[in-house]
Amino acid sequence: MSSIEQHLLKRLLKGDEEAFAALYRVRHGAICRFALQMTGRKDLAEDITQETFLALALHGNRYDATRGSVMAFLYGIARNLVLKRLEKERPEANETVVEEFAGDEDLLGDLTRRESIDEVRRAVLSLPPAYREAVVLCELGEATYEDAAFALGCPVGTVRSRLSRARALLAKKLTVKCMVL
Amino acid sequence: MSEDRVTEALNALRGADLDIETGPGAEVRALLAFRRQQRRIRFRRMALSLATSAAAAAAVLWLTVPRVQTRITTAPEVAVNEPPPIPPQSQPAVIHKSAAPRRSPAPQAPEEIATDFYPLMVSAPPLERAMLVRVTVRAAAMRSVGLNVGDEHLADLVQADVLVGQDNLARAIRFVSYRNREE
Repeated sequence: MSSIEQHLLKRLLKGDEEAFAALYRVRHGAICRFALQMTGRKDLAEDITQETFLALALHGNRYDATRGSVMAFLYGIARNLVLKRLEKERPEANETVVEEFAGDEDLLGDLTRRESIDEVRRAVLSLPPAYREAVVLCELGEATYEDAAFALGCPVGTVRSRLSRARALLAKKLTVKCMVL
Repeated sequence: MSEDRVTEALNALRGADLDIETGPGAEVRALLAFRRQQRRIRFRRMALSLATSAAAAAAVLWLTVPRVQTRITTAPEVAVNEPPPIPPQSQPAVIHKSAAPRRSPAPQAPEEIATDFYPLMVSAPPLERAMLVRVTVRAAAMRSVGLNVGDEHLADLVQADVLVGQDNLARAIRFVSYRNREE
């Protein structure tokens, strides 16, 4: 898949519209999910997805195949766009979100219910961005640790430690009793 | 909560989000945006290419003209009271006999004929002193002042007099040719 994507990227950089469409069809879902899980907003996720592919067409010549896959490069672009948007539209402090979803029972007992999934989503969204992106890429997305390291611009060891810390935070957030009471 | 339960929770979320994609029409919108972007890129490349070509042409011209001038002999400095008559460029060039040939022609020497002067500056400062410099240029230079030159003669070398002011700026140019007195 990776070599096909590299070939598509080469054609895309020459202005090939079909290559753009092909790459978009294959990868837009993953990028859209990443953006949605990072921001929690569908409209923003759609914007970011489009911007990601346009940025790939513009700056794709910076891609270095020896450092990772095209998908990881796409994740890296999307991640930068997400962080910019989050910086611009910082809604509320993370603690507020914690208070919103924190309950006095184990939420996983009823995970089949939609609300429970939404609560997990909110828990992920409440993580600090550095931990959130590690979870979204490696646990919710399709990225390997190496891909995540390439996308985040950090060593694989850092990805692992962030992931570990993120999981600990999630465990705490999903079981903690209501902190405001 | 145990590690396994966290994994379970994340897996549940991943499963729920598996079908999430951009909305209908998003691919078309992205394609349209891609087309606009590519048009902008092509336009920028073309503009850059044109600018580079123009700069290169200007550089060649700048480098060529001084080199030609160093090869020619400079005519003696002459005092000028008023600028020479300069016809508007739209008028056809009139080749006429110079009233006073610049050089005293040797017997049987070909007769020198010259065009009118053509301005090289749009608004020139007053001319107090000037000198005529005889240069050799390509015939294409004649076309640049509006004279008719056949395409096959553009590369021919022709002689020209450049009127240089006291400020060392070229003010005007006339083209010179010779013909035998017998003609």
